[in-house]
Amino acid sequence: MNNRIRELRSREGLSQLELAQKAGVRRETIVFLEKGKYNPSLRLAHDIAKHFGLPIEEVFLFDDNVIKSGA
Amino acid sequence: MKKAVMGLVIGAVVLVGLALWVFKGRIAGNAQEVVTAPIVLLVVGFAVYLSISRLRSRRRGEPGEDELSKSVMTRASSLAYYISIYLWLFVGYISDKTMLETHSLVGAGIAGMAVVFVLCWLGVKLFGMKNE
Repeated sequence: MNNRIRELRSREGLSQLELAQKAGVRRETIVFLEKGKYNPSLRLAHDIAKHFGLPIEEVFLFDDNVIKSGA
Repeated sequence: MKKAVMGLVIGAVVLVGLALWVFKGRIAGNAQEVVTAPIVLLVVGFAVYLSISRLRSRRRGEPGEDELSKSVMTRASSLAYYISIYLWLFVGYISDKTMLETHSLVGAGIAGMAVVFVLCWLGVKLFGMKNE
């Protein structure tokens, strides 16, 4: 799963810390999300998407061709 | 507030215990205990690092803990538990092949578990956790 957090954040001129404070998480979590090292919970994904005023699927991009391990 | 007081009390007990242990080890000239001290220092240092990191986050207006930090802890703990099973199997295997006493072996096993946990935590932080 990829995401557009860095792009959307830059567009709004928000720092990682500011986005973290708005989403109620630590800055490190935003860093991990932007690097693609962590997949957020549905709640956090919803909060971040809501902050940008976009639906979740426009912020977090799912690759339907990827076969999930354990599936 | 209760959490902070608990953290302070536990931290003080660990530090006093560590100081006594190292001091006693030096006086008794017990090389094994003095050698093990760096491992304990590593574990205590890790706990201090975590506490300072949480405090700094709170000062910046972020939560001390969030879903990522909890997930990292959970993943590191489960990994460390899994690896520790093999560590104890190894300790059991060498127990009758070494001159070390049982309490030394148990101490080494516990120190090993702590080191394994710190390494697992570092690994999870380094490689991330995508759950895919």
